[in-house]
Amino acid sequence: MEFNRVVGTRRSIRFFKSWRPVEREKLQVMFEAANRASRSMNADYFRAIVVNRDDLDAETRDALRNPTTTADLDLAPTYIFWYIDMNYVEGAQDRLKALVDQHALSAAHGWSRAYVDDFLWPQVLEPISKDMSAVLFMGAVETGIAICNAINAAVDQGLGTCMHAFTANETVKSLLGVPDSWFPVWLQLVGYPAEEPEAGGQRPRNPISTLFFEGHTDHPFEEDPEVTERLKREGMLQTPGPFPYRAQEVKMLSRMYGLPE
Amino acid sequence: MTDTARTGPDRTAIGVVGEAGTGIGGPGPGIGEAGPGIGEPGPGELPEHLAAVAAAPSVQRWMHRSGDDVAGARLADLEMLQRFCASLGTDPDELIAQCLRSTKSGDTAISAAGRRKTDQAISAFVAAEGASGRDAIVLGNKLRGFLIHNGIFMQGSAAID
Repeated sequence: MEFNRVVGTRRSIRFFKSWRPVEREKLQVMFEAANRASRSMNADYFRAIVVNRDDLDAETRDALRNPTTTADLDLAPTYIFWYIDMNYVEGAQDRLKALVDQHALSAAHGWSRAYVDDFLWPQVLEPISKDMSAVLFMGAVETGIAICNAINAAVDQGLGTCMHAFTANETVKSLLGVPDSWFPVWLQLVGYPAEEPEAGGQRPRNPISTLFFEGHTDHPFEEDPEVTERLKREGMLQTPGPFPYRAQEVKMLSRMYGLPE
Repeated sequence: MTDTARTGPDRTAIGVVGEAGTGIGGPGPGIGEAGPGIGEPGPGELPEHLAAVAAAPSVQRWMHRSGDDVAGARLADLEMLQRFCASLGTDPDELIAQCLRSTKSGDTAISAAGRRKTDQAISAFVAAEGASGRDAIVLGNKLRGFLIHNGIFMQGSAAID
């Protein structure tokens, strides 16, 4: 799938083909995509644990349930528990010097091994590593970027996915051996969509002119109609929802799975 | 039939349950069919033990949800809700209230404890009804639907086996 269509086709999929497992190779692609994501300090901000629903015994599956996260866990064949590793700053000094050595960070932009050792590490990074609010803020942003890559890789492979809040963290921590330094971020559910991949049509978004500006906030970034038309042809901009049959689609899926209507 | 048709000014709680002449299901005596007596709304059309349940604002809201169920299915839902409430010694509005709490600022919020307790009560009721497998899931989720359409976010199991 072309990139623009991947971006345009992404939806939060909530009805999965519960009977169809996700191929391990497709998970690997998602993880490689996440691992290629932009990251400051070249740090490993995130950790993730993938669990196949059907590999869990009934007791474990029940332990993950609660009144707000039950049907989702039944329908999705694959769970990915995403975390921030709050120790991600560790080793930043060596990683940055390695980037200097391979000229990814160069003198052209002010970088040197001496800058990393004498100033950046002792005056900036080490203090940051002791400021939990800063660690959490940076960790959340950078982990989110990685997750975004994984989401798009899933869509590109015909998978559906949706992010959910962690609601059974202590249970998961115990069951999956999660270290104390990992901070829960999202539960990503993955599977093949039982609903149409368009999931009733593209979700409403405000015009980019309300979100982006040129030079000054008084100057909205106005879209070029020709570019807009091209993005429609290339699939980034798709038919907005709801499709005329969306309510019926949801009803039929709900009945198939015995869910509330 | 649209929701607008269901919520016309002359419709009582009972009228909401009884849809006017959808033709779905055909005439018949069973609860599950939209036969005469259910098709036209009127205060006398509901069994006496369901009248109070059907009049509750929370039940009105539930019945006004979008969808095009046949009238008989709505009646069966009412029967089930009535039995569930009776098993707990409560009524529909009180059941919703038990899932809510007041915040320090005076707002109304969902009570996690109340919701959990109600969810467990649903599971217990389903078991007591003797339902199993898919039937149990559907039954429980029907009751959860009553809570959901009154703003209580919750989920039950899906029937995937």
